[in-house]
Amino acid sequence: MGGFLLRKAGAALIVVFLSSIVVFIGIRALPGDPAVALGAENRDPAVMAAIRHSYGLDKPLPVQYVKWISKALRGDLGLDSRQLPVGHTIVTRLPITLELAFLAVLVGTSIGVLAGVIAAVRRGKLSDHSATATALVGLSVPHFWLGLMMIIVFAVDLHWLPASGYVSFRAHPLGNLEHLLMPALVLGTGLSAVLMRQTRSAMLNSLSADYVRTARAKGLSERMVVGKHALRNSLITVTTVIGLQLGALISGAVITEQIFVIPGFGRLTLDAVNERDYTLLQGVVLVAATGYVVVNLLVDVAYSLLNPRIRVSGASNQ
Amino acid sequence: MKVSLRRIAVLALVAACVAALAAAVAAARTTRSSADIRNGGTLTIGLAEEPDALDPTLARTFVGRIVFLAMCEKLYDLDSHLNIVPQLATALPQVSKDKLTYTIKVRKGVKFNDGTAFNAAAVKTTLERDLTLKGSVRASEISPIKSVDAPNATTVVLHLSSPYSPLTAQLADRAGMVLSPKALAAGGTFAQNPVCVGPFMYKDRVAGDHITLVKSPYYYDKAKVHLASIVYRIMTDPSSRTQALRAGDIQVEDRIQSTDVPTLQKDSTVTVKKAITIGYQGLTINIGNKNGLLKPYSNVGTDIARSQYIRTAFDAALDRTTINKVVFGGLNQPDCYPIAPVSPWYKPTTKGLACDLHANVNLAKQLVKASGIANPSVSLMLGGTDPVNARLGQVIQSMEDAVGIKVSVTPTQFTTALNRADAGTFDAFAVGWSGRVDPDGNIYGFVATPGTLNDSGFTNSKLDYILNGARKSLSTKSRTTLYRAAMQIIHRQRPLIYLYHPVNYYGVTKKVDGVQIYGDGLIRVNAAGYTK
Repeated sequence: MGGFLLRKAGAALIVVFLSSIVVFIGIRALPGDPAVALGAENRDPAVMAAIRHSYGLDKPLPVQYVKWISKALRGDLGLDSRQLPVGHTIVTRLPITLELAFLAVLVGTSIGVLAGVIAAVRRGKLSDHSATATALVGLSVPHFWLGLMMIIVFAVDLHWLPASGYVSFRAHPLGNLEHLLMPALVLGTGLSAVLMRQTRSAMLNSLSADYVRTARAKGLSERMVVGKHALRNSLITVTTVIGLQLGALISGAVITEQIFVIPGFGRLTLDAVNERDYTLLQGVVLVAATGYVVVNLLVDVAYSLLNPRIRVSGASNQ
Repeated sequence: MKVSLRRIAVLALVAACVAALAAAVAAARTTRSSADIRNGGTLTIGLAEEPDALDPTLARTFVGRIVFLAMCEKLYDLDSHLNIVPQLATALPQVSKDKLTYTIKVRKGVKFNDGTAFNAAAVKTTLERDLTLKGSVRASEISPIKSVDAPNATTVVLHLSSPYSPLTAQLADRAGMVLSPKALAAGGTFAQNPVCVGPFMYKDRVAGDHITLVKSPYYYDKAKVHLASIVYRIMTDPSSRTQALRAGDIQVEDRIQSTDVPTLQKDSTVTVKKAITIGYQGLTINIGNKNGLLKPYSNVGTDIARSQYIRTAFDAALDRTTINKVVFGGLNQPDCYPIAPVSPWYKPTTKGLACDLHANVNLAKQLVKASGIANPSVSLMLGGTDPVNARLGQVIQSMEDAVGIKVSVTPTQFTTALNRADAGTFDAFAVGWSGRVDPDGNIYGFVATPGTLNDSGFTNSKLDYILNGARKSLSTKSRTTLYRAAMQIIHRQRPLIYLYHPVNYYGVTKKVDGVQIYGDGLIRVNAAGYTK
């Protein structure tokens, strides 16, 4: 097990290293001189030179990379164009997106699983058709449109919820929920539609399985049959889908964060691209890449713990 | 005759009484308005962009100036008519006869927002930092300053290497903001804890989200400050900003997008404020930018560069009124000059100059014919890929088509467009300028040979002579004459074709009073507050 872990961690480190190079070069391939973007209306050659110097853009690429990565390894991601520490900004913004994604999963799972179960149990009836049709609509409606409609109805017309912004849970628990309710609903709608269809399909399989027929033959109530036997087995599929959708949710949060003006990680990335803020963008993408690598590593480890054959086959392939 | 004189005297007396009465009423109104504002509360302003570093020496963005207005006072400020007035200085500078020494008297008994004393030595420290700090954006703005002296606590003496009349205007912007020497000496990054003299002081900032300022207990005029705090929220999406204003999340909206203006004008809870800005939008024509910005200029040889007839025809084909109506819903101010009508310089410098806001198709056709160029063509680069820019390009294209000039439109991402403009790889470039109070800031950089924004690659020794003369002259009268002469040359040669002055619209909830917008487009909230 130790060897397996070491191999996986080593591979992960190599992936992070390679992705840091890709990030570094990829960002510089963006059109537009960052000094011009950062200089705003000032294009005095002396100012341009000063900007290039202060961001190290006047140095050869390999020198820039070594300087950046050596600092990053020490936990210093540098100062952005606002002269603020990039590391601190990321630490402030990332939890907001994670919280939003968590709430979206909560919304999506609650609606999707319930609707999926009802649709499967009442297969072919009105409720099944309604749930399926609603799921289709949920999948088709773009996030930005739904977001804007919700803002107009619930914030502008009814004044029930704030149209934009974010307050932390620690500072104001109720305010936090008020600010994130609409964004979580918007993000969760797409997920609930996917989950509804997956749950329905998995439930239909389970409900026609032998063990469910046995449970019914034993005289268990329908609630017990559906809740304890069929649903429990169907949740394996549902859980896998949630896991797969989480990445998409975090990426999809960019649009939702933009519409609801939530200072999350997605908006931070978008702003960094628009402003050609190399230091910030490098930090953001490096953290995201590292996050994905770490999650994959954890998944590999979890699989190997659950299924020792993966460890063995992994070792034999070496 | 006697009777007539007596009548005139009586009329003058009546007029004086009426004027005095009107002034008293106006003063009473102001007082009542001020009395109607309660103390306390947080004002949230939705900004259209994010400010860069909150360090006046390094700051470059327009929107950063909005935040600085509440926390960093300057030696000079602007009044509502864009005249320069003293702020931390007590009077306009006294200038020596040779125009090389500026003596500025500064206020007594003023404190920075860290409790330390403001004085002439602090002004000297700040100006020297502006001139010498690596990466200083202010250095070029005040480069004629050779040295700074502070002979006593209330006197600052600036020694210049050459006369420079726009200096006072520069000191009415970020170069005139005075930083706390204690905060500067503390080390670290000033932008992370900026300390100046101001009605509000810095509290915190979350990058990309908000900046919070709180009322300063040290401010010399704090009785006039009503708000307890100001939150500047970064809201780059214009629709989200408008919805947030309507929902009550923010109380002031920075620059409403033109399509949202009618909706907000109908909203009974919101006041829409309008400001014709000192900026302009125009077309930069590449005449001599063959080798790149500030590299030796020589004619690029395109149809529009080599023929003054084509440039004049191109201009004559433009119907500025229609452009404004079709592209901007009639919300902007069509014009032909780099100086805006809100500027005190506008009337005297444009007096007697022709500006036809409508197209003159016949003249344009005659000019095209006279140019001797068959089927002239122009590639127009747009400084953005948004729908408004696209509409502007299409309208210009169709207007030029009507006179026989074929225009191909290239929408280009803004930063890339600026790079291409600097490199000289364009024929015409639709781009704007946010504007400066002093005419020099709107003209010199763009059309003088050594101008750092001269993407046109325009070089004209007579114009250089005139513009340098205007920089050296301190007399408003002689500067006016010089700028009028400069505009005649620009209008004849057309390195730039000016189209309109942007009119900015701002939304303010009716619960708030005292928000002021001047022609510089900055939101002033120092005296604002919630109504009782």
